[in-house]
Amino acid sequence: MATTFDATQLPVEAERKPSRAAGFLNSFLLRRLLKALFTAFVVITLTFFLIRLLPSNPIELFIQELMVQYSMPYHQARDQAAALFAIDLEKPLILQYFDYLGGLVRGDLGTSILSPGTPVTSFIKRFLPWTVFSVGLALMISFTSGVILGLLMAYRRESLLDHILTVLASVLSAIPNYILGILLIIWLGVRWGVVPVAQMRGSLSPGVQPGFTLAFFQDALFHAALPIAAYVLTTVGSWMLTMKSSTISVLEEDYVTVARAKGLKESRITTAYVGRNAALPLFTLLAISIGFVVGGSVLIETIFQYQGIGYVLLQAVNRRDYVVMQGVFLIITLSVIFANFFADMLYSWLDPRIKFGAAE
Amino acid sequence: MSQADDAFVHHESIFEKPPLSLRNVHIMYKSRKGAVNAVRGVDLDLRAGESLSLIGESGSGKTTLGLGIVRLLVKTAKVTQGEIIYRRDGLEMDVGQLDAQQLREFRWRECSMVFQSALNSFNPVLRIWNQMYDTAKAHGWSDRRAVREHVLNLLRFVQLDAERVIDAYPHELSGGMRQRVLIAMSLLLDPQVLILDEPTTALDILTQRTIIDLLRRLKDEQRLTMLFISHDLAIAAELADRIATMYAGKIVEIGSADDIFYRPRHPYTLGLIRAVPKVIGEFEDLVSILGSPPDLVDLPSGCKFHPRCPFATERCRREEPDLEQVGQDHAAACWHWQAVEEEVADHPLHQSLPAQTIVYSGE
Repeated sequence: MATTFDATQLPVEAERKPSRAAGFLNSFLLRRLLKALFTAFVVITLTFFLIRLLPSNPIELFIQELMVQYSMPYHQARDQAAALFAIDLEKPLILQYFDYLGGLVRGDLGTSILSPGTPVTSFIKRFLPWTVFSVGLALMISFTSGVILGLLMAYRRESLLDHILTVLASVLSAIPNYILGILLIIWLGVRWGVVPVAQMRGSLSPGVQPGFTLAFFQDALFHAALPIAAYVLTTVGSWMLTMKSSTISVLEEDYVTVARAKGLKESRITTAYVGRNAALPLFTLLAISIGFVVGGSVLIETIFQYQGIGYVLLQAVNRRDYVVMQGVFLIITLSVIFANFFADMLYSWLDPRIKFGAAE
Repeated sequence: MSQADDAFVHHESIFEKPPLSLRNVHIMYKSRKGAVNAVRGVDLDLRAGESLSLIGESGSGKTTLGLGIVRLLVKTAKVTQGEIIYRRDGLEMDVGQLDAQQLREFRWRECSMVFQSALNSFNPVLRIWNQMYDTAKAHGWSDRRAVREHVLNLLRFVQLDAERVIDAYPHELSGGMRQRVLIAMSLLLDPQVLILDEPTTALDILTQRTIIDLLRRLKDEQRLTMLFISHDLAIAAELADRIATMYAGKIVEIGSADDIFYRPRHPYTLGLIRAVPKVIGEFEDLVSILGSPPDLVDLPSGCKFHPRCPFATERCRREEPDLEQVGQDHAAACWHWQAVEEEVADHPLHQSLPAQTIVYSGE
């Protein structure tokens, strides 16, 4: 009988996997790395020139500040500014650019223009962890609850619960996070007075020492609570709706019917058959949104006076501190690149149909 | 049909009551246009060890009936009337009355199902082994080593490279392989009844051949009781002991495979047979059934087949016929079955079975 021939059609990769997969991975990683470097280079170049197209420059702004604050005549203010800042903005732009690139290659992000002597890396070291903490935690909360609620909505389709949650999700995802942030302060902090907004400013209360202590974590959470609430509330809606529609289509898949026919327990069907498959496309979105949320933290951190990287960026933009701006943009770019890379790896790990790197 | 008639074909049936009996089963779908009468009063005995084929056009209600037996209908569909009686070891139960837990245990353990779309019948993110083990575990069999040994044997039985297939992901297998894995999985818990819903439809003709051979072996060696849903007469002819023709949600003719193929007594069955091409013969011999299946929301009066039936008379427009005995273990629901009999006598149907059988059975 001709029935055995099919067995030979099993993918050959299964056998040769170790050696071939390793080779693949290496070359793929290399290509991926080169691509990431190229992306970073393009973004660095663009930001370098674009931010210098902003009206005015740091020295001018400082001179104006001196003139307004101390009623100095222009030339006196300019002399004082020139003495304070050891920066030569008269140098041709292209040379400044190469200086900057040269510094980057050596891992030197430069020093702040307006806080002379403070390297940009120290700004990043000091402020980035707060953003990573608040944004990361918010994203985890929002993703997990969005997935669970979306699954629930799909299972209870057309029920009252589904209708309420769908309206809620649509409304929430339509509100920009900075508006919601302001509303939170007005309602929770001022009108109802249920949250001590004034004490929650900043990323840590004075006197609390960072370290692995309960007091520190409590305080960190206390200060991050409102920004996190703003992130979660404005992003959870889209997770819910995406998960709902994804689940609805998975529920109609034949393998779910087969799972029922096999007499599997409903809990097993919901997690391993429906939930896992429905959540797959959401993981790609998750990684992409990591990048966007880091960039989008500017307004939220300013509204809540939360001292993270977004707050630093806004300060830098207002004062045209080019070097700090470049440094922060570089960090945002790198986080987007890394997030995408991470998403690909995660996806190929979660979905056996996608081979890592095979999409290239 | 009496038990005495049953005994004529299957001597075992004298002692055994049928494992599955459908009594006046009605299934309705809710739709925007109104209630869809997908199954309208089906009476059917699935005898122990037999293979019964349910044939009919798309929309005749055969798949709905199959899903209804294991209560896997979509939410908008409901068994509105009738009983689905399942028997084992002298015990009897109404599948319609089982609670969620009992139903879960009944499924697969007692009655498993092979679906049309084997390609999509597997969870894409789990290995075959995990999907097999899931099934065993859900029915309280969690001895990993024993289950694995059993699964390997089943995979060998369906002629797959068991060691390789067991740890493969579904997407690594071809359509025919997946269909065989699904058949192996359906045998995992040694069920009494196996429902096969168009198990070969999505496959190419050579793969169909291997699946049919496999099902034949299953029938001969395992003596499973099979309900075989198909629109393909050739496959029905090869695998079935008995054949039931469904039209507009009702069984319009039921009899042994020979009777149905050589001595059909219902014009619809006759039409189906004439619509199948033969290898030897002219294409002019092919006659398709005029018109299309009826609108199940707004069914015609009287006999549901009368608008398409060359034998139809005034009576057919008014009254719907019930199944009546037209021969030994052979029943048809037609007012004019004698006229059909004459028609068949004047124009004998075929000297042998339909086309596909002839082409590929002589391996």
